[in-house]
Amino acid sequence: MLIKNGTVLTVTKGTLTETDVLVKDGKIAQIGKNIAAPQGVRVIDATGFFVMPGIIDAHSHIALDAINEATSPVTAEVNEGDVVNPLQIGIYRALGGGVTAVHAMHGSANAIGGQCETLKLRYGTLDNDALKMEGAPRTIKFALGENPTRVHGGGNNIVPRTRMGVEFVIRQAFSQAKKYSEDWDTYNKNKLAKGFRGAPPTYNLRLETLAEILKGNIIVHCHSYRADEIFMLLKVCKDFGIKRIVFQHVNEGFKVAPELAAYGAMASVFSDWWAYKFEVYYSTAYNAAILMKNGVTTSINSDDAEMMRHLYHEAGKTQKYGQLSDDEALSLITINPAKQLGIDSRTGSLETGKDADITIFKNHPLSIYGVPQFTIVDGIVRFDRANDPADMRLMPDPKQNMDDVYFRDKGRDNCMDGTEFLFGSSAEAGAKAGDSLSDKK
Amino acid sequence: MAIFFASLLWPAMSLAQQGQGQASEEKPPVAPVGRAYAITNATIVQGPGRKIEKGTVVMKDGLITAVGAGVVIPPEAIVIKADSMFVYAGFIDGLSRTGVTKPKEEKEREREKVKDPGNPPAERAGITPQNDVRNVLNPNDKSVEELRNLGFTVSQVVPYGNFLPGSAAIVLLGGKSADDMVLVNNSALYSELSGAQNVYPNTVMAVMAKWRELYRNASLTKSYQSVYAANRNALPRPENDRILESFYPVIDQRIPVLFKSEKVMETQRVFTLKNDLGFSLLIADVKEGWPIIPKIKSSGAKVFLSLELPDEIKKDEKKSDKKNVSLPAGQAGKDSVKTEPPKKEKPKTSFDLEKEALEKKKKDAIASYTSQASEFTKAGVTYGFSAMSAKTKDIQANLRRMIKAGLSEDAALAGLTTSPAQLLGLSDRMGTIDNGKMANLVISYKPYFDEKSKVRYVFVDGALYKMETKEAKKDEKVSAKGNWNYSTDTPQGTATGKLVIKEEKGSYSGTITNSFTGKEVEIKNVELDGNKLSFTFPYDDSGNALTIEVAVEIDGNTFAGTMTAGPNGSFPVKATKDPKF
Amino acid sequence: MKKIQLLTGLFTVLMCVLVFHIEAQNPKGKFGAFALTNATIETITKGTITNGTVLISNGKITAVGTGITIPQGTEVIDCKGLTVYPGMIDSGTNLGLSEVGSDPRTTDFNELGEVVPQMKALTAINPNAVAIPVTRVSGVTTALSSPSGGLFPGTAALINLHGYTPEQMFAGFEGVVLNFPNSGRRGFFDRRTDEELKKATETALKNLNEVWERAVQYHKIDSATQGKNAGYYPEMQALLPVVKGEGTLLIEVNAAKDITAALKWVKEKKVAKVVLTGVAEGWRVVDQIAKSKIPVITGSILELPTREYDRYDQAYANAGVLKKAGIKVAIRSEEKSNQNYRNLPYHAGFAVAYGMDKDEALKAITIVPAEIFGVADKFGSIEIGKSATLFVCDGDPFETKTQIKQVFIDGWQIPMQSRQTLLYDEFLKREPGLSKK
Repeated sequence: MLIKNGTVLTVTKGTLTETDVLVKDGKIAQIGKNIAAPQGVRVIDATGFFVMPGIIDAHSHIALDAINEATSPVTAEVNEGDVVNPLQIGIYRALGGGVTAVHAMHGSANAIGGQCETLKLRYGTLDNDALKMEGAPRTIKFALGENPTRVHGGGNNIVPRTRMGVEFVIRQAFSQAKKYSEDWDTYNKNKLAKGFRGAPPTYNLRLETLAEILKGNIIVHCHSYRADEIFMLLKVCKDFGIKRIVFQHVNEGFKVAPELAAYGAMASVFSDWWAYKFEVYYSTAYNAAILMKNGVTTSINSDDAEMMRHLYHEAGKTQKYGQLSDDEALSLITINPAKQLGIDSRTGSLETGKDADITIFKNHPLSIYGVPQFTIVDGIVRFDRANDPADMRLMPDPKQNMDDVYFRDKGRDNCMDGTEFLFGSSAEAGAKAGDSLSDKK
Repeated sequence: MAIFFASLLWPAMSLAQQGQGQASEEKPPVAPVGRAYAITNATIVQGPGRKIEKGTVVMKDGLITAVGAGVVIPPEAIVIKADSMFVYAGFIDGLSRTGVTKPKEEKEREREKVKDPGNPPAERAGITPQNDVRNVLNPNDKSVEELRNLGFTVSQVVPYGNFLPGSAAIVLLGGKSADDMVLVNNSALYSELSGAQNVYPNTVMAVMAKWRELYRNASLTKSYQSVYAANRNALPRPENDRILESFYPVIDQRIPVLFKSEKVMETQRVFTLKNDLGFSLLIADVKEGWPIIPKIKSSGAKVFLSLELPDEIKKDEKKSDKKNVSLPAGQAGKDSVKTEPPKKEKPKTSFDLEKEALEKKKKDAIASYTSQASEFTKAGVTYGFSAMSAKTKDIQANLRRMIKAGLSEDAALAGLTTSPAQLLGLSDRMGTIDNGKMANLVISYKPYFDEKSKVRYVFVDGALYKMETKEAKKDEKVSAKGNWNYSTDTPQGTATGKLVIKEEKGSYSGTITNSFTGKEVEIKNVELDGNKLSFTFPYDDSGNALTIEVAVEIDGNTFAGTMTAGPNGSFPVKATKDPKF
Repeated sequence: MKKIQLLTGLFTVLMCVLVFHIEAQNPKGKFGAFALTNATIETITKGTITNGTVLISNGKITAVGTGITIPQGTEVIDCKGLTVYPGMIDSGTNLGLSEVGSDPRTTDFNELGEVVPQMKALTAINPNAVAIPVTRVSGVTTALSSPSGGLFPGTAALINLHGYTPEQMFAGFEGVVLNFPNSGRRGFFDRRTDEELKKATETALKNLNEVWERAVQYHKIDSATQGKNAGYYPEMQALLPVVKGEGTLLIEVNAAKDITAALKWVKEKKVAKVVLTGVAEGWRVVDQIAKSKIPVITGSILELPTREYDRYDQAYANAGVLKKAGIKVAIRSEEKSNQNYRNLPYHAGFAVAYGMDKDEALKAITIVPAEIFGVADKFGSIEIGKSATLFVCDGDPFETKTQIKQVFIDGWQIPMQSRQTLLYDEFLKREPGLSKK
């Protein structure tokens, strides 16, 4: 397709006015002025519109049928990629907000949670593998602070119950993985020897996965809030030689911005969420700006199916809180999350050769009046506002009532989805997982 | 002479059968296997597309010995005159829990809390693949009779439980004991992608991770076992693990893994496991297979489609226009019928259009489920049916719905007989009515797929089961629902009142008034068993709170029975239904 | 010599005073006479004035317009290139009733009991809640802080975000909250069966009617005995103003079916002063709401559609649809979990982006809520005689680029500082940085 005559916000290479973008075979083939439309190719007139890279949400739980395997503090072996659900309407709603790729993550119930999956929002298929982004690096979810201590120490009387315990659990897991790795290396070496007869060590998928983290094959994304726990994990990473680390939420990241920058750790934060838990009480909306200005690669995420739809607006808030420039603000939702997911060579900016993940806006995306008109994923238009049909469900449930109405607890801690069973029987309102408004029951 | 005796015996047998059918389920079937039978003068459907008009089937010692139009009937055979009846090969169900004793319902709170939910005992985690379904098989379980009454003679059954409850077995729906039932033991390793409550693995992703780990470990221990077996000297002995051992025949490709996979995402996840680990696969109770037929075909998995279908949309009873008398009442799914709107209708609002679109989408969705079987036939996939989640009272109706949606009767019959026989490796001995095959037959009054068809006789392994026509009456809906005016004679005098019973989706509720208290209270524990209705309600007179139990038998528009007021004794109660409700 | 000593002494005292002032923890608001000059003034009710002046004195707006003479002793604030707006009013908060959402020891908006209208938000509000300065530096000057919970969770209060006591903060309105029986599901994890849901709604409605009956009874007794011998019934006492038709009932209702039921109920029971709040599915029943002439406070605007098959932007467009049907519409943020009421202008901005008229959206967060709460004589627009509750910014307040420069509440100049800005100041360039020196 050919996107004609728009203001092209490349994010990495400046802003180009009255410029065309040519898409071919799912990739950006050319960016320039007055490109001739090849035969039979769809032309989108972007005159007066803004063309930017598709938005990437580095922290999401949509398109998944399970979020938390909250039965154990370490569950590295489970993989969200196994439970991707391309039928969820949330995917389409995200497309309506200009999002083209998401990091579908395990929840924050466990100190070491499960592996996450980077997805492209190719809505319209029933194939469970179709959304997975081929070649995207493996990632895994860690969590520090109140969530794992509440779920395991609080809910089940299992270590960790304090931040001390969280550190111990992580160190223990890595140490065990190291030993496991050594045992298998030894076995694998010995079995090549002539006449070798011996038993192999037990196969443990959990330790296998942890060993992969130590080898640098999996990027750690760690849900964390307080400055002290961020420090703690940086030290653990240093001790075990883990280089690829992204901190998620990290509301107090601004307090340790120099250290994060020096280590090369990246940060994926909320624009302005605070006050819902104690660990976020000392937050500031200036977090993203402070981190950026101190040299930390920062992104803004949603961790929420609703907020995901206006990440461009959330990025705009960094212009209020910290006066980031347009390109800086836009990088928070495009090239930076791409870097954090290890997919920046493929997407995150409008450059020739990259995937054609493009969003076209009426009015500038950082303006409150910005409204996504087209969302294109891998060169296919997956959302077209002018031709948006009413009912976008792919496979309606024949048993569902037609007037089922759903209301959300706004701002609930989505990272704790699936852990309700641990708190359901508790009489204490305080034990309720993440629900700030206990008027549910 | 023999015929004379035989015909004498027959009513005696049928009486005995009657007694057995209505009384408790403990008495074994009466007719011994060794008997010879001849079914005469019926339409014999030997297999899909193979009919014999006015034919005879002869069986002896559990095997079919002759089939045809003019076969010789042995003198010792008991003759069953099956004039204008239809005979088919007994149906085969690919997956259910027929005959498997249901474990007692464990209440959440009563269950012992596991100390370390991350490392629960294997039982709690649902990891018991070594469980033999024979241990929980009972030929007298009510479910056996229910499924057999529909014409099913063979089922592949599995134990209760999630994740890895145990092995499957192919069984006959009849017999004196569990062992008697078994045709093929350990026919597959059964699994479901559902986790355990509150312990690991709880979510589907954990179940899948655990699957891979177990399988991998099983492969490792298996190969080490062979290493050890070859020369045990100077080697540590292999660990004995029953759980891992259950995987060995799967690893050897001697038995497949049987997965219950109802939904479209679930089925694809099963395929992911299959591709990762390489076992051979049977998927059963598939409800949403039609969108991924190509994927199913290329996986090479054997398929059993579910006999359950989503309920049809109930049309609103209110018809606003008298002119539409010609419309058949309450028939949803007839695409050709359009409701004519009354002439005075307002222009459609966007909400009317929305409602129409939603209704249409729902209807189309239901139609997709209903036409699934015909889609599979069109795509050339061989499939059987499974009765796992279907209610026995719906199965025949659902088959008819599938036929109406495009499935040919021959294809339906194939799905019930020849195809499952092929998929389960039983074609040499069942699936059709041919010489030498097992005497598994179903005989119905009218063709089986006819709306008014009723199964009269079923033969399982040569043993005869007769369906009582009286049973049909029993199936007729006794309506407890409605307003009843009752009276009960107590020492204090006659109490009267109104009993209102409501019914929704098979469960009952309601209220009752009492002339003594003047109050209206809710009735609880309402149960309807055949025509026996029972319920309780609270009664509070001058501070004494009681629970009154009522047990009555309904006969049309009246009922009679007793009301028990705790220690105060029982009193007779009778009632008549309010005709207008 | 004595003169020098005197001067030195004075100087020292002066220095001490100054030093003390600098070292004070939180800067205080300043009361006095101010003139905002060279400004664009969005009066809301009387159009836009360019190059105008607003005079503030003794807590009130004393002049608005061009060519205004500035009295002596007035502090002049040059607002060249800036615009003056009335302070924004957020009708969906629990400001002051919640510090840390997940810790029940710090939250005070949800009291036990289904019917407790006597629970007063006003006196439970913590005037020193951290969220208060955080909110007001973004131009939201006034908020309705509501209890939540059961059927009648309490009485909400309208407060200005400045002051140290309830009296100082009270902005002149209190209203009884009613959570109308909700027939919808509370989120994806609500697995109650349809039966259970229906039953719950029926029971709640029955309960509501019983309570109302009793309240009407109480009113009869109360009028008959001239308020002397009605007995101690605090719930009924709290409902009395509503039953009398003098107090406002704030009905929280969202599902279309429930809105219809609520309107029917209001009509049946002849409730005189009613406001519908929430109204997420109001677009499905606009005609009914318009006909009832009942005003609506809707929000959050930034929400998901209520039904799986709804258009993706249904929640954004709702407010605009309601307004176009002639309904009186106020917008609230309802950002309770995050105490982010500062985002109120963005909720309004989204409503505009998805169909609402811009002027109407601005009214929806200023004069309309003021009218709904009966305090339009004091708040909601820039007019002479009204309270000097306003803010000054350098652009369109709906845009995120816009910076708020000045905030006045009841004539007090508010320090443009909150804990979040202080953290910014401290950590933008941390000292010590990476190394200890």
